[in-house]
Amino acid sequence: MNPGTVNERVLHFYLAGINNQNFLMRDKETGTWWQQITGKAIYGPLQGAKLELVLSDELTFGEWRTESPNGQVLAPVAKYTKEYEPNWEPEVAKLPVVISFPGTELKSRDVVVGLAIGGVARAYPWETFAKQSPVMDRVNGTPLLLALGPDGKSFRVFVSRIDGRDAEFFLQGDNAADTSAEKKPWTLVDATTASQWNFQGCATTGPAQGKCLDRIPALKDYWFDWRNYHPDTTVFKH
Amino acid sequence: MNTSSLSQHEFRGQPDRSTHDRSTHRRTSRWIWILFFLCALATIGLFFIPALIIRPFRYQAPRALFVAMALRQRAPLGTLIAGVACFVLAFALWRTVGLWRRALLVLTLLLVTLSAVMARQNYFEWMFHPIAGPQFLAQSESKLDPKEMILAVRFASDARAYPISQMAYHHVLNDIVGGVPIAVTY
Repeated sequence: MNPGTVNERVLHFYLAGINNQNFLMRDKETGTWWQQITGKAIYGPLQGAKLELVLSDELTFGEWRTESPNGQVLAPVAKYTKEYEPNWEPEVAKLPVVISFPGTELKSRDVVVGLAIGGVARAYPWETFAKQSPVMDRVNGTPLLLALGPDGKSFRVFVSRIDGRDAEFFLQGDNAADTSAEKKPWTLVDATTASQWNFQGCATTGPAQGKCLDRIPALKDYWFDWRNYHPDTTVFKH
Repeated sequence: MNTSSLSQHEFRGQPDRSTHDRSTHRRTSRWIWILFFLCALATIGLFFIPALIIRPFRYQAPRALFVAMALRQRAPLGTLIAGVACFVLAFALWRTVGLWRRALLVLTLLLVTLSAVMARQNYFEWMFHPIAGPQFLAQSESKLDPKEMILAVRFASDARAYPISQMAYHHVLNDIVGGVPIAVTY
């Protein structure tokens, strides 16, 4: 998700093609070609420009709804409702790929959470991440907390630092996979202050109450696509 | 003698000049054909080369993609100029040729026209229609299943959700949230 502004000029984008299964868009104002994943202008009058990535979330509607009581949802367009595929991910996973990276740890269609801090990229295989969440890691000197949400599908990445000090987090509630009726509510606890933290990264009880962790943008992507645009990426192993 | 020789010369000169004219004419006509086909190739290439390179489920080599974007960028004006030239040249050739060559001219002009029209069409949006004026629902009115995935942004107190099932079809959406213009992509 990129803001449509370059040098204070508002641009409007449209789908214009495909580049190894990552789409190309052009803007109506200048006709420049942009790569979706990077937000970079790769050809045309604005070549070399880059859109600023804004923080966004990939959440379940249920999770978002509880966090955003006044939120608005994009309405389906009646003409195209037949085209909407609620089960999109498994459908796309069956499609062939045109680029692959043999010899790397993952398969082309493996889903990863990808992030880059100061040009240092790391991919977290979804299965590993989901099993081990919360994952504590460090990339380019920044301590990270990767958390799978209470719904077992939403995810967020935070800087695991409280008041400038590195912190470690544990899951207090039961894992999302546990569907028993007496399941405790999902809560993270930090080892330093023993405060409780919610999935929005804010402390709800304890000495840190009211504080919120900084967020890191992360992208859920297929391995082939992430690796293609981050050739030096490392893969999280644990 | 002189007169006769002169007249004889003139007499001989007549067929000479006519042969010369005919061959000049043939040469001119050949040049018009060559120009016609060059214009036709240019028009057709300006559409078909990028269309063939930027195909889904095909590998796009970096240099090929560069060529495709460069041609596509120039195709609207290029196909107009080359296409009009094709029609002018075809008009010049039309009266000098027989049925088969006329058929060839017509077929080529059809391809030229198709290419010029397609160079102005965004057929990717025929497959994945854009949302012209996005409408939003209060979250309480949405009929989405709680398990459905959404993309979400928040600017100050403005929170918006874009269902992935919809974004995976439309791919790009231009929106303004909390005064910030954004392009939502999936």
